[in-house]
Amino acid sequence: MPTDPKIPAPPAADQTPPPPRSDKTDIVAGLLLMLTAGLFGWQTTGLNIGTTLRMGPGYFPAILSGLLFLLGLVIFVKSFRSTTEEPIGRIAWRGMLLILPAPVFFGLTVRGLGFVPSIFLATLIASMASMRMKPLMALVLSVIVTIFSALVFSYALGLPFRRFGPWLPF
Amino acid sequence: MDFMSNLALGFSVASTMENLAFCLIGALLGTLIGVLPGIGATATIAMLLPITFQLEPVSSLIMLAGIYYGAQYGGSTTAILINMPGESSSAVTAIDGYQMARQGRAGAALAVAAIGSFFAGTVATFLVAIFAPPLTTIALKFGSAEYFSLLVLGLIMSVALAHGSVLKALAMVVLGLLLGMVGNDVYEGTPRFTMGITAFADGLNFVALAVGVFGIAEILRNLENEHDRAVVTSHVGRLWPSRTDFRAMIAPILRGTGLGAVLGILPGGGAILASFASYTVEKRLSKNPKEFGHGAIAGVAGPESANNAGAQTSFIPLLTLGIPANPVMALMIGAMIIQGIVPGPNVAIEQPGLFWGVIASMWIGNLMLVILNLPLIGLWVKLLTVPYFILFPIIMAMCAIGVYSVNSNIYDLYAVAFFGLLGYVMGKLRFEPAPLLLGFVLGPLLEEHLRRAMILSRGDPMTFVTRPISLTLLVLACIVLVLVLVPAVRRNRAEVFTESEV
Amino acid sequence: MAIRSLSGAFCAAIVLSSAAFAQGYPERQITMVVPFAAGGPTDTVARLVGEKMSTDLGRQIIIENVGGAGGTLGAARVAQADPDGYTLLLHHIGMATSASLYRSLPYDTLEAFEYVGLVTEVPMVMVARRDFEPADFPAFIAYVKENAGTVSMANAGIGAASHLCGMLFQSAIETQFVTVPYRGTGPAMTDLLGGQVDFMCDQTTNTSQQIRGGTVKAYAVTTPERLELFPDLPTVAEEGLPQMEVSIWHGIYAPKGTPEEVTERLSAALQVALADPGVARSMADLGTAPSPAEDATPAALKNQLETEIARWQPVIESAGVYAD
Repeated sequence: MPTDPKIPAPPAADQTPPPPRSDKTDIVAGLLLMLTAGLFGWQTTGLNIGTTLRMGPGYFPAILSGLLFLLGLVIFVKSFRSTTEEPIGRIAWRGMLLILPAPVFFGLTVRGLGFVPSIFLATLIASMASMRMKPLMALVLSVIVTIFSALVFSYALGLPFRRFGPWLPF
Repeated sequence: MDFMSNLALGFSVASTMENLAFCLIGALLGTLIGVLPGIGATATIAMLLPITFQLEPVSSLIMLAGIYYGAQYGGSTTAILINMPGESSSAVTAIDGYQMARQGRAGAALAVAAIGSFFAGTVATFLVAIFAPPLTTIALKFGSAEYFSLLVLGLIMSVALAHGSVLKALAMVVLGLLLGMVGNDVYEGTPRFTMGITAFADGLNFVALAVGVFGIAEILRNLENEHDRAVVTSHVGRLWPSRTDFRAMIAPILRGTGLGAVLGILPGGGAILASFASYTVEKRLSKNPKEFGHGAIAGVAGPESANNAGAQTSFIPLLTLGIPANPVMALMIGAMIIQGIVPGPNVAIEQPGLFWGVIASMWIGNLMLVILNLPLIGLWVKLLTVPYFILFPIIMAMCAIGVYSVNSNIYDLYAVAFFGLLGYVMGKLRFEPAPLLLGFVLGPLLEEHLRRAMILSRGDPMTFVTRPISLTLLVLACIVLVLVLVPAVRRNRAEVFTESEV
Repeated sequence: MAIRSLSGAFCAAIVLSSAAFAQGYPERQITMVVPFAAGGPTDTVARLVGEKMSTDLGRQIIIENVGGAGGTLGAARVAQADPDGYTLLLHHIGMATSASLYRSLPYDTLEAFEYVGLVTEVPMVMVARRDFEPADFPAFIAYVKENAGTVSMANAGIGAASHLCGMLFQSAIETQFVTVPYRGTGPAMTDLLGGQVDFMCDQTTNTSQQIRGGTVKAYAVTTPERLELFPDLPTVAEEGLPQMEVSIWHGIYAPKGTPEEVTERLSAALQVALADPGVARSMADLGTAPSPAEDATPAALKNQLETEIARWQPVIESAGVYAD
């Protein structure tokens, strides 16, 4: 089977098991799980637990939050005796800063600006996430995407989007 | 034989030139819209539904069937090419399909999915034609107690979805279950975990979650290392599965078809389990389960067949009872009513031409799909050669439109961003998204059936063991649990030796 | 006003006269918000009527499904929309009941809308699993009262038509029994067919085919008169429970401040659509009928909404159920 050299080999075990040490990833993972479980558990406190015949809305979430906390705890404890060590690696800050806001921006403006300007700007924002994208290229790409989407979704399929919204003067 | 004459009637209705053309147009449109990232089968069908209203009832339903299969296949295509599943079933396909694509085997993965789907569709169509009425009787035997036990079985199986730490997979299932609780409680109407946002009263949007944790997280991962290397494969590899591939996919397709056909009949959530269950079975039976999660062909062939067979047999409750098994079926019912056909137990008797015409068109729809898509594979795969920095803004735009189009709910778009971040962080911490998604899909069902079973039994938990089907399922669940745990222990020891050979 | 009470053949005349008021309207396509998912019964009603209204108005009416939170999300959307006649709402009885079911709504149900007209009133039928013992409605009531501890009634979730009818039934026979909520009518009906629950009261949209197919047992209809579709089924009033009379009425609304000419024009278009034989036929298949022309008017809908809010408030408060 030809494998691409760029693909990392399956994680799992190395040739010789290294001595146990603490795994930072799992420490963070365990802590985060416990925190999440705590948040859900806290939100559950206001809910009615009910009885076995009529389980309340809090019954199931309470059990699940408890279970999640336990799992987090076990992962946390086990992390100090780990045999795998994998670095967290680089973090896509620029990607996060520009990719994640794109749908949010679309949501905030689609009803006000209208579908056409909103999808254009959202695509423009997203395309800036790559270092390789030149400004002119981004503009061209966004225009093409906008025209395509307007033709397909608004004109051909007749989705109930307002093409230009009330925020615009025309 | 009676069903032969029925099928003949069906084919005579479905295979007029006109209806064939509508079926083809439906399949084509379904594929083209469904292949847009972030637009799943439900959204595709909702978008294309109004087009069918102008047609004759039979043509309209036939075109809808085409759209349905096209949309389903389109969803698998995006799952394989860019890790963007549009619905729960293709989330399983994404696990190994996307890995195959990264290794330059996208063409093979797509072909396997198409062939598996076609085979499963053919078999399941005949099952529907022959056994629809008796199968319905079985489906009606499933009450909430039975569904609960079935879901427990499904959850235990889900551990096999993980290819890393079992503990972490379990944690993801539980987190998924909790996320599934978001929204107003069905029984008392109390809002849970909605943070006061009424838009989440009916729960988080599945597409938003799937697109976020799979697709957007993957885009972010790909953007990490832009500095020093080209992102993702640009080499395409061979288009067609090799002979070894063909041999490797036969058994999984057969098993997937069987599993999917059986589970699809159950309207209370069986079809959802089909692809997950098939993946588990394949991984258990495989000679090298380590391959799963890294591009195993069986991990695409099995679930895709199961999914399609299940999709097919889930028409059974719709056609024989007039009850929709899932949102897509609900859309179909809406279309039927607008056409003046109220689906119900009498449709088969009152309008045999329509009833059997639709069944025949299911098969024709599947055939169209293969004819259409095998040549299209080349085109889809070429998409991968588009530079990534051009591809992902397009993906983002389509996602935004697709997610928004379902319910015009802007909070679904915020959810996309949130789950994109969550998926990325999870990836960094070596958590896998598939178990999370399974938990999310099954969570509400599990709770609903548990609580309903307890209400119906007047609070007696013995209901789960005194009802024979439920008991059988629970026993099965115990067996699977043992099977899951035992090899895990054994393999841990064996791993050290096998790993160097791979 | 005399003109309006004439129906059918005179609709064309009304259209012409009202068209003179609303000069220029409509100039572009109109969005009709359905606060439920595509493919459901309300969506079906909207699409049936919307298509015919489009023909009369000369502009396309497109359906936008804004589902969620028992229809209140879609209603809120329309309440906040521009009152220019280009955003409408098609909602059912839930418009009146959500005023009491929800303690905090983002709009004031009686103040936030203008009215176009009633569209249809869907009757409801009390149905039970096929092998449920009682032979007729009086026997059914007696049986439920006697076995209140063991019978179970299904409904399609809080605020659903079946839930409303169930609440009425419980208060009408003054008996408490176990109710089993489902996520929508589909699963509830499946369990009824499978005999997992005993009975349910739901719209003919969902029950008529099952009754005709003999897969469920029908006891009574909740309308003042017997239905053409099932002439043998008694009404609840005949059997001594007039307080159980209920129908799932649908109405079209516009945001507060929409000019009267516009709502009148829309109402005229609605009357034309409802007089269409195709619409009547499709509705008959569903076990319902178009509202008569005199009900497809702003005044009739306003009156209906006010009456129904007043009627449901005590029922919901005494049942103590809330959807938020």
